[in-house]
Amino acid sequence: MSPSLSRRDLLRWAGVGGAAALLAGCASRPAGAATWSMWSSSPAEGKVWADFSTFVEQQMGVPSIPTLTSSNGYVTKLDLQLVSGTASLVTALNGWMLPTYAARGAHRPLDDLIANDPEFDIEDFYPDIRKISSFDGRTYAIGFDVAPTVLYCNKTIFDKHGIPMPSATEPMSWAQFRELAIEFSRPADQYGFSCAPAIDDLVSWLYCGGGNVMNEGATASALGSPESLAALEFVADLFVRDQATPPISNLVTVNALANFLEGNVAMMQNGPWQVVNARKAEFEWDIVPFPAGPAGSTPRVSGSGFAIPAGTSERDLPLAWTLLKALTSTAALDIYAKAGRNNPARFSAGSAFLPPPANLGIVQRILAGEVAGGHHYEVTTNWNQVRQLLGQDLPRSFLGQVSVREAVDGITPRLDALMAQHQDKVRQATERSR
Amino acid sequence: MALQTAPVPPETRSAPPPRRSRWRERDKQTLTAWLFLAPSFIGFVIFTAGPVVAAGVISLLDWNLFSPPEFTGLENFARLGGDPTFWSALVNTAYFTLVSVPLTIVVSLALALLLNQGLRRVAAFRSLLLLPYATITVAVAFVWIWLYIPHGGMVNTALGWIGIDGPAWLVSDTWAMPALIVMSVWKSFGFGMVVFLAGLQAIPQQLYEAARIDGSSAWQSFRNVTLPMLSPAMFFVVVTSIIGSFQVFDQALIMTDGGPGTRTTTLVMYIYRTGFENYDQGYAAAQSLVLFAFIVVITAAQFRLQRRLVHYDN
Repeated sequence: MSPSLSRRDLLRWAGVGGAAALLAGCASRPAGAATWSMWSSSPAEGKVWADFSTFVEQQMGVPSIPTLTSSNGYVTKLDLQLVSGTASLVTALNGWMLPTYAARGAHRPLDDLIANDPEFDIEDFYPDIRKISSFDGRTYAIGFDVAPTVLYCNKTIFDKHGIPMPSATEPMSWAQFRELAIEFSRPADQYGFSCAPAIDDLVSWLYCGGGNVMNEGATASALGSPESLAALEFVADLFVRDQATPPISNLVTVNALANFLEGNVAMMQNGPWQVVNARKAEFEWDIVPFPAGPAGSTPRVSGSGFAIPAGTSERDLPLAWTLLKALTSTAALDIYAKAGRNNPARFSAGSAFLPPPANLGIVQRILAGEVAGGHHYEVTTNWNQVRQLLGQDLPRSFLGQVSVREAVDGITPRLDALMAQHQDKVRQATERSR
Repeated sequence: MALQTAPVPPETRSAPPPRRSRWRERDKQTLTAWLFLAPSFIGFVIFTAGPVVAAGVISLLDWNLFSPPEFTGLENFARLGGDPTFWSALVNTAYFTLVSVPLTIVVSLALALLLNQGLRRVAAFRSLLLLPYATITVAVAFVWIWLYIPHGGMVNTALGWIGIDGPAWLVSDTWAMPALIVMSVWKSFGFGMVVFLAGLQAIPQQLYEAARIDGSSAWQSFRNVTLPMLSPAMFFVVVTSIIGSFQVFDQALIMTDGGPGTRTTTLVMYIYRTGFENYDQGYAAAQSLVLFAFIVVITAAQFRLQRRLVHYDN
């Protein structure tokens, strides 16, 4: 055998290697393995999913193969896998994306599987996550986390001003909240409040004000209703008139958490999933219920779940359903809770939010309806487009470039068109499912 | 020593190859040429021509990637007329092109002329000036986001030294696009500079000497010698810059996400969103064909103009 590699050999091996790589790239999912997809953007998250994977293998007695992708690239990768038929048996879905996927026929309804499985108790899941996981009257996902938006308070700033922390059980009114935000903004380079002027944050104010992005049937825009306008104007005033928020230098990089962690922002609106990051703060902080508007304290409740792609074969379906049940079982969600990342979707699972700080327990109490309240994130089948539209024009009123009324008037015809498009998609999906 | 050539014996002189053999030789050469061309040709068919044809077909469909596509004829093209975001993106892209391309050419040419003056350490300067072009856009965009911060950012701090109160660049209706253009010019002038420098160094010195003897001033030499002789390089830079600026995407996505409003939404950004965020593949394909048509028409016009304006002979 010649010890040196000839050019011809090199080319031959390169060809063989390339063909092997091509085949490997085209290969479908491994048979018999429990494959699942999830987003993961940090080593800590990766550890949680590794623990999930170990749990799945113990429960099911088959290899567990998680495909972890960073949050930013997750949807693109999922789309490619769904289209090419190489998606995992079970895929994670963010709640606000669920109607988009369900209406496109990318995932299958789970009602038949739930009905035929007496072991599976859908009633153990919080009502809000069940609403978030449904589209057109059918269940398309089983939740794994759910949480309401809360108000983070910098206790150190409150103490410095001699102002007691807001109640953990009785939400303060919008008027009280605004008064505090202005008061805390008096010293130079200190601000009362921080949130992103994006619909994901603004919708909590809309819900608390009795408004919404769209009307009840999602047939037209509701941003022009008196309730919605009043809610948006209330928040815009905090930015423009009261100057109670950090100045916006770039709409792309507005980050309420980063502002809060600077230590010069007294209050921040965010989900309890940021508790894990807020624990890095070098000051004392706690959470309280979202301020109550005319409709009460009913901020956005959002969550995520696991779903089964529509392309899953009948042969693989039992394995997919068993895997989905394992991933959303009480024991699995306890792993998630212990990592402190977000609130599990089941009543029977433990809490991710154990004191300290003292008030963390209110997250589960809000979800259970014992304290304040919440409103599941209502979205449409084209929510990405709705977000883009609102993200383009609405922030201009938070920069003081146009009034809220002008921004909403400009948005309304296009939002109405998107609602009509949504109705078309719902109709097509309904016809397809018949 | 004189070289002597020995006469070739008549029997060893090579006879002309038979006609069939000549054809075989020519076939072999053709085959070899095709083999060398094949990788590039296959790549062109798969990654360029194929997608263009596919886009043409998809533009006639209503397709969300998952449900079976439905034939809708020219409906996607008809939708373009009533889509304000598409027109806004088209105007923004034209604005970006009309301002950024001339600016890039002026800056590139000025720097190339400077480097062509026989400066010391010209190679070091050339490498330094080429660095922005060689750096990935994402990294450059993030650096410029920091430069453009209204309070404490380097741009506004520098403007403050001369008594100017700088705007909030990336959220301003008026200044967001100029801010993107400045960043893009800074990012891309290096390419034009290198091409111009190569063009300048290829101009025969005797032309300048002749111009000097004729009593030309520096400006006249530049206008009547440098510019005409540089016209092939200029043509190349103009064509590639216009095509590149029509396809501007990443810096706008990272720095402004198309805002405020749709002030910096470009055509490619809108096509990407339509196709891959809103899953409207047919409409995205129709938009991309319109963009393709614009680029083809403009490039064809440039090639037509070059017959009059570009001088390839010395």
